[in-house]
Amino acid sequence: MYRYDEFDTQFVKGRVAQFRDQVNRRLTGELNEDQFRPLRLMNGLYLQLHAYMLRVAVPYGTLSSRQLHKLAHIARTYDRGYGHFTTRQNIQFNWPRLKDVPEILDELASVEMHAIQTSGNCIRNVTTDQFAGAAADEIIDPRPVGEIIRQWSSIHPEFTYLPRKFKIALTGAPNDRAAVKFHDIGLMAQQNEQGEIGWKVLVGGGLGRTPMIAKTVRDFVTHEDLLAYLESILRVYNRYGRRDNKYKARVKILVHEEGIETIREQVEAEFAEIQGGVLTLPQEELDRITAYFAPLEFKPSNATFDLPKLKAENPGLSRFVMLNAHEHRQPGYTSITISLKPIGGVPGDATADQMDAVAELAKAYSFDELRVTHEQNLVLPHVAIEDVPAVYAELQRIGLAEANAGQITDIIACPGLDFCALANARSIPIAQEISKRFGTPEKQSEIGELKIKISGCINACGHHHVGHIGILGVEKKGTELYQITVGGDATEDAAVGNILGRGFIAEEVPDAIQRLVDKYLGERANDNETFIQVVKRLGQEPFKEALYANG
Amino acid sequence: MEIITANELLSGATVYFQADGHWEADIDRARLFGADETEARDEVIAKAKATGRLVSIETEQVAVEGGKVIAQRLRERIRAEGPTAPRMKPQGLEEGDHVSL
Ligand code: SF4
Repeated sequence: MYRYDEFDTQFVKGRVAQFRDQVNRRLTGELNEDQFRPLRLMNGLYLQLHAYMLRVAVPYGTLSSRQLHKLAHIARTYDRGYGHFTTRQNIQFNWPRLKDVPEILDELASVEMHAIQTSGNCIRNVTTDQFAGAAADEIIDPRPVGEIIRQWSSIHPEFTYLPRKFKIALTGAPNDRAAVKFHDIGLMAQQNEQGEIGWKVLVGGGLGRTPMIAKTVRDFVTHEDLLAYLESILRVYNRYGRRDNKYKARVKILVHEEGIETIREQVEAEFAEIQGGVLTLPQEELDRITAYFAPLEFKPSNATFDLPKLKAENPGLSRFVMLNAHEHRQPGYTSITISLKPIGGVPGDATADQMDAVAELAKAYSFDELRVTHEQNLVLPHVAIEDVPAVYAELQRIGLAEANAGQITDIIACPGLDFCALANARSIPIAQEISKRFGTPEKQSEIGELKIKISGCINACGHHHVGHIGILGVEKKGTELYQITVGGDATEDAAVGNILGRGFIAEEVPDAIQRLVDKYLGERANDNETFIQVVKRLGQEPFKEALYANG
Repeated sequence: MEIITANELLSGATVYFQADGHWEADIDRARLFGADETEARDEVIAKAKATGRLVSIETEQVAVEGGKVIAQRLRERIRAEGPTAPRMKPQGLEEGDHVSL
């Protein structure tokens, strides 16, 4: 993992000291709220419905056990004993008190973490594949480049006041698990004809009010040129992005209004100016950063899962392996998804005790490494196959052994109206009811892969547009209503779901989902055809009919 | 009828202006402003702003049912009672968090 150098350490510490002073000045009345608000937001501190909320960045979703222990400590000492992992691979604390926040930031700095740029119109935390550095299908480990982007984008003087927030995601594997096509910039590792590895650059993706799939601006950019190319895109956006209307200020609107050809011309013109300049990434620097992510000392092993045997001996474990174990590039190893979606639980929440226990698991079984997924789960990226039973047993003990990765109960849900000041409707109770309805292993096995994503307002933090089934909470005449979409897909086969018709009240939602599921089960060609494949094959119409059959 | 609500600066807690001039978490004790009391209401809002201790000061429509003050908007009911899933208490005020006009 990357370790802060002297500059990083000084910078983060300096920022904590600065914020401590700003909080003191706010408490003494020297700063009023109008003056203080932008300062606290620059440090990830929001004011939500019930309290402040602190959003802590987890760069490219990678954590060490020391860091997760610290997050547990913060949850226990300054909050209500839990944290909430988000679709941005971040963690949020829902109950900190203002006077404690400088202390919390100090604690975070001691483990090389911070909350800088988790809010505001700047470049946000860079995100990537949760299996980065472990996945068998990877062309390249995206984390070194992710780290370089983090360094380049941290307090970048030119891009601190962009027209709107800006999100960059990258994947080193062709199977996109980081939803890169729904980010302002998406990077996909590529190998060119000469065998060099570089990046396909996509721009203008996003969710929210106007969901857009990113368009390719360039097919191949070398590592060497990547920062200059990103800078060129940001410059074009900073210059031409609409500042007159906050709803039209994201780069996706610029790309949509101007057309990708115009944007490409402008970016290429800018790039021609700055290519080969100070932003050129020297190979030595890439090598230096890559060394932090050097291959681990895996034990030679040919261990594999003997599923029939497992099934006979321990059906729970066999199910867990089938669903929550992901193929590792190293023979004898696997990546384990720790589902933060216990049946009927709150998606993405983990208690301090659970975080501590998971940190210990990482220490004992995963080379001290952990990941946060954009689907609000945790991952032990490098587990020896022979250690999986021990990991599973411990996860059972702490209540996090749900075998449901990618299943109908592995629901993304934003905090919604239970916490969020911008919400129109609740998300969490909807997720809980659906989870309870379909929560038995038998039902989930029958249904197979099905991704449900729920947002409490059109801002789409719950990624509802790209759910195989998406649920959007709206408010109508004082009542929470839920619009249902089908056909969204966050992967490399990106698609935005279509709204099927009128919304449902909360109590009707599980039945509505049941009708969609029943339709799918009735229509699938065989047990292996997934929900999204059936939607893509048949279109939305049969699902619309099923949903509204009785009016 | 209307009430005045805000978030207290130190705790971030939801608080309501009460008839005795204090800002407390209990919505049932919120001072009710009738339609003919806009002047008194605006005076409280101005004073509240001047304390610097109250953030996001807003008025909310309420009804009184069986001695309970019920906010019209679900958002406000959730603010008053705390998150519904899982059910949690709202943020409490600690010593030093209390504001009065
Ligand atoms: S989608 Fe809306 S309700 Fe949900 S967290 Fe984002 S802003 Fe809040």
